[in-house]
Amino acid sequence: MLKAPTCGLDYFDLIKKSKNRDFSSCSDTLRLAIIGDSATQQLASLLTVLFREQGIRLEVFEGPFDAIELQVHNPNSELYRFAADAILILNVTQALRNRYYRRPGSGVEFLRDELNRIASVWDVIRERCPAPIIQSNFVPPVERIFGNFDHKVADSLYAVVSALNVAIADAARSRAHVFINDVESIASYVGWGSWNDNRFWNMYKVFCALEHLPLVAQNIVDVTLSVRGRAVKCVVLDLDNTLWGGVIGDDGVEGIALSAHGDGESFYEFQLFLKEIQKRGILLAVCSKNNLENALKPFLEHKDMALRREDITVFVANWENKADNIKRIRETLNIGFDSMVFLDDNPFERNLVRTILPDVIVPELPEEPADYVGAISKLNLFETSAFSAEDTKRTELYRQRAERMEAQSSYGSIEEYLQSLDTQITVGRFVPRHIPRIAQLFQRSNQFNLTTRRRSQAECEEFMQDPSCYPIYAELKDRLGDHGLISIVVGRHEDDRLLLSDWLMSCRVLTRGVEQFVMNHIVEYAARHNYGWIDAEYRPSAKNAMVKDFYAQFGFVKLADPGDGNAKWRLEVAAYKPATVFMRSLEAEAVAPATV
Amino acid sequence: MEEQQLRTKMLETFRDVFGNPDLLVQDSTTADDVEGWDSLTHIDLIVALERAFRIKFTTGEVGKLANVGDLVSLIKSKTG
Repeated sequence: MLKAPTCGLDYFDLIKKSKNRDFSSCSDTLRLAIIGDSATQQLASLLTVLFREQGIRLEVFEGPFDAIELQVHNPNSELYRFAADAILILNVTQALRNRYYRRPGSGVEFLRDELNRIASVWDVIRERCPAPIIQSNFVPPVERIFGNFDHKVADSLYAVVSALNVAIADAARSRAHVFINDVESIASYVGWGSWNDNRFWNMYKVFCALEHLPLVAQNIVDVTLSVRGRAVKCVVLDLDNTLWGGVIGDDGVEGIALSAHGDGESFYEFQLFLKEIQKRGILLAVCSKNNLENALKPFLEHKDMALRREDITVFVANWENKADNIKRIRETLNIGFDSMVFLDDNPFERNLVRTILPDVIVPELPEEPADYVGAISKLNLFETSAFSAEDTKRTELYRQRAERMEAQSSYGSIEEYLQSLDTQITVGRFVPRHIPRIAQLFQRSNQFNLTTRRRSQAECEEFMQDPSCYPIYAELKDRLGDHGLISIVVGRHEDDRLLLSDWLMSCRVLTRGVEQFVMNHIVEYAARHNYGWIDAEYRPSAKNAMVKDFYAQFGFVKLADPGDGNAKWRLEVAAYKPATVFMRSLEAEAVAPATV
Repeated sequence: MEEQQLRTKMLETFRDVFGNPDLLVQDSTTADDVEGWDSLTHIDLIVALERAFRIKFTTGEVGKLANVGDLVSLIKSKTG
């Protein structure tokens, strides 16, 4: 969860809150369809409250009880008419077990049939509705028909459920629109003894003890938010007593507690965990009250530092207050405060940051360093909805960016600086190999995003194949590094006009002239295809105010203004004056020799 | 537990679950008489009473409940 709900996760407290229908705090709406083979009403009430805690007004469609396939296979069902933003499929072990006991064939055949049923539900939905699917997995059954030997009998219920969870995960890997609601892990965390209350299954088809339902609901909120692009992008770390035991300025490199074995192992383990997070694509920054020389010493000299200097994107060590330092880190990385986590063992520093920067996520850290990893993992802070090769390179990209910002101050003018970078850009129509990154950018990009339409991978593929669409991406590299794919625009042909429905860009390449280059490219395309006009849109979100008047700088004229912040813009193609840019087009270069 | 004490605690639980601080019930009261007492809140009521009195109902007991009076007798028998 990104922000812990203020009300905690007590079932009765949440149910009471669900009776309050005031959604004025919500800036966003989500239409969620729930279909399941268990009762879903309680869950729906809890979800309404927990989404509201995140500023989202939930509109729920609950399918009739145990009618997953009826809803999915009927093209005119209420499910499709609801036009959901996300579809939650809740399959529970109790219903599975009932079918298992009535199976006509072997357990292994049963397993195959169940997997086919689930996967075909996903695939049929996919044909009719672009909404992402959130599929629950199964809690292992309490029955041990063969005892421990269950594991050795492929037909046993226990073995079937275990294999089914693995098979569901495997099938979801090849379907970008399917996400897992890992109910199994929640039940394991709670403990099955406390998880189950079979009386309520028998009487009301509730799949677990009521007190644990809020954990399932919060888990669903976590997955949904990540699918909609909310994610932690950076972890800001304190040093003394957070990354190692003791105070480096007092104890010196030899004196701090940090070791792969024995005293200080907790800190070593914590660093390994952070390193894994970093490899996954989350940036690490350091914010320490120290002098810089001392703070860097362990990174350069200590043999058991799992984190190295190059793992840290921005390294700040000084005696100023940490809130100001975090502001500086945020500016350097150009990310939102709400995508930053601050970890510090010192309650004073945590409170200071919480007070001054309320959007930064500041979890409590336990006193015992051996519990750091467990406490942070319990919060499920690092939920994501995609993982690509791009993620593994992120630290490197941002570190170069930080260095560039330092270099920038030594150049006279921004133009001079941009020219010195020898920037190269590639603009092209969507191609299959870029689709995962394109879909990811649609989910992640918040600030420079004109319409914030969260396009799924499936939608991106449709744009790619649709001849009436002009969907383009831009890739950027320069002397200091390769930025990868950083911008997307989707155009659509309509009569004598080209319609721009999406325009977004990663903020890490802001002020480089990318948007100017892309606009030149689009207008040139429009002129070549004899369009008289380009129409474009701006839809306000909580975060995209910076591009409110984006189109004005290019000579677009504002059309309708309904007063709700939405705006339509229009450009006369013939009247466009190309913007000055400081970069070379790679494609043009590739074509040039042939024409000479 | 004294019967009066039991009834007071039970009424508090009812008021809490149905979100009505002025709610009054009698032994003859049934689900039809109380606004918001549907199959959904019934589960909440059962669990809330279990929590308040630290008892467990069986499915058979829950199935046989006809009115508030039955509930009082049941809780009385379980709290001794």
